[in-house]
Amino acid sequence: MNTVTQTYLRFPIARRIEHWVMMLSFTTLGLTGIPQKFSTSNISISIIQALGGIEVLRTIHHTAAIIMMLGSVWHLLVMGYSVFVLRDKMSMLPTLQDAKDGIQALLYNVGFAKTYPQMGRYTFEEKMEYWAFVWGTAVMTITGFLMWNPITSTKYLPGEFVPAAKAAHGGEAVLAVLAIIIWHMYGVHIKRLNKAMFTGKQTEHEMLHEHPLELADIKAGIADRRPDAATLRKRQMIYYPIAAILTVAMLGGLYGFINAEETAIKTVPPISQSVEATATSAP
Amino acid sequence: MHQRIQIRPPRIWTLLQRSVPTVSLLLGLGLLILALAAFAPPAQAAPSYQEDKPSNDFCLACHQEEGMDITLGSESLPVTINPTQFDLSVHSEEGIACVDCHKDISEYPHPVVKAKSARDFSLTFADSCKECHEDQYTKVQDSVHQTAFDEGKENAPLCSDCHNPHTQPRLIGQESGLLTIAARKHVAATCSECHADTYEQYKNSVHGAALADGNTDVPTCTDCHGVHNIDDPTTASFRNNTPALCADCHDDPAIMDKYGLSTEVTETYVADFHGTTVKLFEEQFPGQETNKAVCSDCHGVHDIAKVDNAETGIALRENLLIKCQRCHPDATANFPDAWMSHYQPSPEHFPIVYYVNLFYKFFIPAVLGGMILFILTDIYRRIVNRMKGAKHA
Repeated sequence: MNTVTQTYLRFPIARRIEHWVMMLSFTTLGLTGIPQKFSTSNISISIIQALGGIEVLRTIHHTAAIIMMLGSVWHLLVMGYSVFVLRDKMSMLPTLQDAKDGIQALLYNVGFAKTYPQMGRYTFEEKMEYWAFVWGTAVMTITGFLMWNPITSTKYLPGEFVPAAKAAHGGEAVLAVLAIIIWHMYGVHIKRLNKAMFTGKQTEHEMLHEHPLELADIKAGIADRRPDAATLRKRQMIYYPIAAILTVAMLGGLYGFINAEETAIKTVPPISQSVEATATSAP
Repeated sequence: MHQRIQIRPPRIWTLLQRSVPTVSLLLGLGLLILALAAFAPPAQAAPSYQEDKPSNDFCLACHQEEGMDITLGSESLPVTINPTQFDLSVHSEEGIACVDCHKDISEYPHPVVKAKSARDFSLTFADSCKECHEDQYTKVQDSVHQTAFDEGKENAPLCSDCHNPHTQPRLIGQESGLLTIAARKHVAATCSECHADTYEQYKNSVHGAALADGNTDVPTCTDCHGVHNIDDPTTASFRNNTPALCADCHDDPAIMDKYGLSTEVTETYVADFHGTTVKLFEEQFPGQETNKAVCSDCHGVHDIAKVDNAETGIALRENLLIKCQRCHPDATANFPDAWMSHYQPSPEHFPIVYYVNLFYKFFIPAVLGGMILFILTDIYRRIVNRMKGAKHA
């Protein structure tokens, strides 16, 4: 085994499916959302037309939003399992070291530092993107709720929050789509085609370059230390009921999100006009 | 079955027969006017006189007698023509002869009228106008009035119901080529003959009241509904086209500046949820129904009032809420502010929206700029390292 054939599991299948779900729903949301923000542009009009009109487009957008929210619920449950049952290191949490790494990387790139920072399971670039995605999803969910349920929202909030939500939703959308195109594209496709999210694996060579500290931990046998079977079962017995309650609560919240109100009547607003003519006489 | 016709004997019949030279002179004048009129819209071709045709004076000699009528079935139809009114009519001005329309009449006694009612009698002339006014006649064929008529509503207006051929004054100014002020002011009254309820609403609306004061900037019935090819205003395509219709005037600074009205109403409408939808529907599926509000849903159809009207003005939130609730029955007091009332967000109007936009205006380029900058340094380092590597190799 050399460093090219020796591989390490980076993303188990469940995480890869999660990535597919988020990627597809995000892409759908972007494709159906950006044309709504720039609805007067000809490109938008062509896209809207191709997808069957604005109402169909909105339905697709809403459906993709529900899928992404379901994905988020799933992610939270998996994270709960990872933290409370497996007691994994919370390797995605941003630390001061990430800021230092970022600065060192920048200095190295422009020639003021001799070495590129050595990083662990997640690099500062990956953490930045992850937390940007978390932030973006939170903003989009909250502002999306305000637009989806304007009547419920304005029972408790000023009316102006609805157009403000629309403004933020649109601004955040542009930011998210462009950030993915620029940062994600460059980071995992252009700089080096990183297939870990699809194959689930990275070679030792890749690990050495991108996650040397994690590789060192693995080699030292201190990464991913699984609890023994008894402890695992004990923790699962505690976590599963809590997760079940959380699942019901979150799905209930999602159901409420979708069905909070009947925003508008389904028919065309009534016209109160009399157009019946009275009799006329000949000239 | 024959109708009984009661016509008084013409007393000046013989008198007129002696005045042939006068008649000829009038005939000549008429021809001259007719020749000139041939160039003027809207009548394309006036029928030419025939030598043996009785003159208008000839007909009026009898028909100016007051109280003349004929009985058609159970109805009595007045056949008196007021010569003063007729003289003021455009047909008289253009020298159109009575017999150009009343073609079956060339002598006295007149042929028996077969019509069973006054309406029936009018209908026998339904196609007469076509001879000169083919353009208008053709347009009417596509109109909601013609559709109603074809559906068997015989009271649906004929040309003569709106344009009494014996009294119709000139509508289009000969120099301006536009509807004369007098004619504009009269349009609504004409439509009110049948659409009385609608007229009552219009009369007191911001447009109707201004028109009554002689303001020609405001629309009258025909400006929105068309003149002869009047569309069915209850269709989805008419509804979807409403914003464009209102925009004709309301986006025009030449008109709006006089009244201090915003010309951004369409822009701000289209920027909002309702307007985006309606605009896209209008562009992609003109006939598709959408329940998203158009101008008239909030501002009214014929009863359009000023938004700052103390009683009904929708600048008042409470009044606007009533409009919102027509489509959003569960809406409460804060809901109307979810619509930005045609304002562009600014520190004064809808400041939260303004500052959110401002935030993203700087936040987006800052974040993306930072990313791009970092990526550029990364690319730079890779190129430099590769060159070094190549050198070492």
